[in-house]
Amino acid sequence: MYDQFESPEPDEAVKLALRRIDEATARGEGSDVDGLAFNEVVVNMGPQHPSTHGVLRLVVTLDGELVKDVIPVIGYLHRCKEKLAERRTYFQYIPIVDRTEYVASINCEWAYVMTVEKLAGIQVTRRAEFIRVITGELMRIASHLVAVGTFTADLSPLGTAMVFYMFRDREIILDLMEELTGARMMFNYFRFGGVRYDLPDGWTSKCRDYLQKFPKMIKEYEALVDDNAIFLQRTQGKGVITQQDVIDYGITGPNARASGVELDLRRSRPYSVYPELDFEVRTEQHGDIFDRYRVRMDEMRESVKIIEQCLDMLPKGPVQVGSLRAPYVITPPPGSCYVGQENPRGEFGTYIESDGSRYPYRLKYRDPCFCNLQIFPKLLSGNKIADAVAISGSIDLVLGGIDR
Amino acid sequence: MVDIIVGILRAILFVVISYAVVFVAALVNIVFERRALAFMQDRHGPNRTGPHGVLQSIADAFKMMGKEDFRPLLADPFLFTLAPVTVMIGAVAIQLVIPYTGGLMATSLNVGIIFLVAITSFTTLSILLGGWSSRNKYSLVGALRAAAQMISYEIPMILGLIIVAMVVGSLRIEAVVAFQSGYEWIVFYAPFSFLIFYIASIAELNRGPFDLPESESELVSGYGTEYSGMRFGMFFLNEYAGMTIMSMVAVTLFFGGWMGPFAGAIDFWGVDWIGIVWFLAKTYVLVFALIWIRLSLPRLQVDQLMAFAWKVLIPLGLLNILATAAIMLWVPSWKWGLAVFSWVAFFAFVGLLDPILKRRLRKLRERQPVVSA
Repeated sequence: MYDQFESPEPDEAVKLALRRIDEATARGEGSDVDGLAFNEVVVNMGPQHPSTHGVLRLVVTLDGELVKDVIPVIGYLHRCKEKLAERRTYFQYIPIVDRTEYVASINCEWAYVMTVEKLAGIQVTRRAEFIRVITGELMRIASHLVAVGTFTADLSPLGTAMVFYMFRDREIILDLMEELTGARMMFNYFRFGGVRYDLPDGWTSKCRDYLQKFPKMIKEYEALVDDNAIFLQRTQGKGVITQQDVIDYGITGPNARASGVELDLRRSRPYSVYPELDFEVRTEQHGDIFDRYRVRMDEMRESVKIIEQCLDMLPKGPVQVGSLRAPYVITPPPGSCYVGQENPRGEFGTYIESDGSRYPYRLKYRDPCFCNLQIFPKLLSGNKIADAVAISGSIDLVLGGIDR
Repeated sequence: MVDIIVGILRAILFVVISYAVVFVAALVNIVFERRALAFMQDRHGPNRTGPHGVLQSIADAFKMMGKEDFRPLLADPFLFTLAPVTVMIGAVAIQLVIPYTGGLMATSLNVGIIFLVAITSFTTLSILLGGWSSRNKYSLVGALRAAAQMISYEIPMILGLIIVAMVVGSLRIEAVVAFQSGYEWIVFYAPFSFLIFYIASIAELNRGPFDLPESESELVSGYGTEYSGMRFGMFFLNEYAGMTIMSMVAVTLFFGGWMGPFAGAIDFWGVDWIGIVWFLAKTYVLVFALIWIRLSLPRLQVDQLMAFAWKVLIPLGLLNILATAAIMLWVPSWKWGLAVFSWVAFFAFVGLLDPILKRRLRKLRERQPVVSA
């Protein structure tokens, strides 16, 4: 192996990539163009790279423009989220859950709170359930806006415009959330058995105004890219995830639905008040980049429908169980519990094992991005660099969730 | 003796003007583009430095000059330094044959158009040098992309320019401008050639949608990844000055150069001052078009880019030359014949390219295997 650009001391991942090249050459599979046997180059994409949306590092073996092999390296954003739980009471841990997957933080809160409620047998008030669905779906829209915006930004300066348009819309959601919870990203809003505050005066009408405008905005975005021949050429038929892949790699969320797998925990393992709501699970057929983008656009429309129904059905009543003070210290009985929740990126599961004390004995997340990341080596190899960037953008990873 | 002194002073004057145009154009274009993009993207853009942020790029230039002169350990020291020094040569030297206005032109070469084409390829060399000598894999890939792209797109650019020489009957740029007096702009006779030239020149400038050599989402910043401070500044200035220079070439060859209403009305020292205004106005319309195009199209992919040059632009350019030659040879009032042919070709190209592409994509989509059961 001769690498002209060998760095002084390659780390484990680069060594693995180099070893794989050696092995492929030994098997006679090394690329051999015009008698030049060794023309692969190992490139580090990340952790500081404009297109990885965070600190994901991909060790990419390139043969000219062609991606031969990909080794994802994670852990640059590891903050011991799971270990932290073991030294905090159940209540103290809520703000930390927010920071696991920060793009849709309220959905993570929801998953955690639901697990603890199930473990401790706490009943949630009906009004609080509806408020939870409203905030969760608002954040799903916000999260999909970020996902689609940054994905199109990977493709072009046109996408940079898309990002700004989409962030403009996301800003309104964040304003709504700020009015409701007092925070724009790290809400710390859910409580065991309810939510922290009731909806402020006039909030519902503001929300309705926004929901009326938003579908028009989606149409605008679709007009911007869906009809663009270059965009279609770059996205259709590239990075196909088959149904078998979805099963093999445990892919969930919009990525699975783009491959025609009708897997949506809001339907298939319903929680909260979702069984009472009328919405569709949007799927596509081809499983390529374009379909993953389409599913996200359609899901935003469905979310709008869900929120509108919730606002119509919103019952009166308390938003927390018992007295004004929510149960700050709870001691669930010994036992373990896993609850999966439909995060914007897939199934966000929380597993808690309780030993009957004030602290969880063990907490473990099943993060959708972590599972979706695993298909990267298979999905990216054999594509051009530009395609690889587009594909990794379309999978929509949030490193906060992967590294925890 | 006096002749020699005047000649030397004249040479110095034009070198100063050329460099001034490059630097001023780059600084103006950077702010112009940032503001225009901001306007189109629903945000403010730089608006704090000076009135409406016009001084932003001057502040940036000083910042860049104040930065550390950094060179990577493994880089080739000589070539790494040489590349940013030579990158400007193309943009400066090209102005030797461009008449800014009546009476303000460095030299009147009898092979002006050939000189234009020859000197534009100089930038490729610097980019290749810079990318190769930085010893960075992103730079290398970016530089190779740049070389492949710029060499490919030079050919359609030449094919577009040949029409100008054919119509005018001279390679001398003064003659081209003189031909267009009385609003007989060549773009009226040969809009299709202009289209080919303009698309190719966008690719020559490495601007979106052809900005693959420095596509920031893929290659960090392509050939310039390892450059920082004023060395990066030289590449950056060249790129943005290139917008104005290319538009100047386009205006000179296709849009009547400095001709316009009242041109020649104010005449000091043998220089037509109104002409400069027209020249700049036309140039900046084209510069704005470049910015607009950059915003509205996604980036092409390497194979699509090459296919577009070799399978679409070059065959069409060759056919265009053939048809133009035939019209000039056999049609009696060939100017009208050429205009009719070229406008038809122009609208056919603009109108049909998108539907044809989309039809192909739709067919591909229908044939695409469905993964859901």
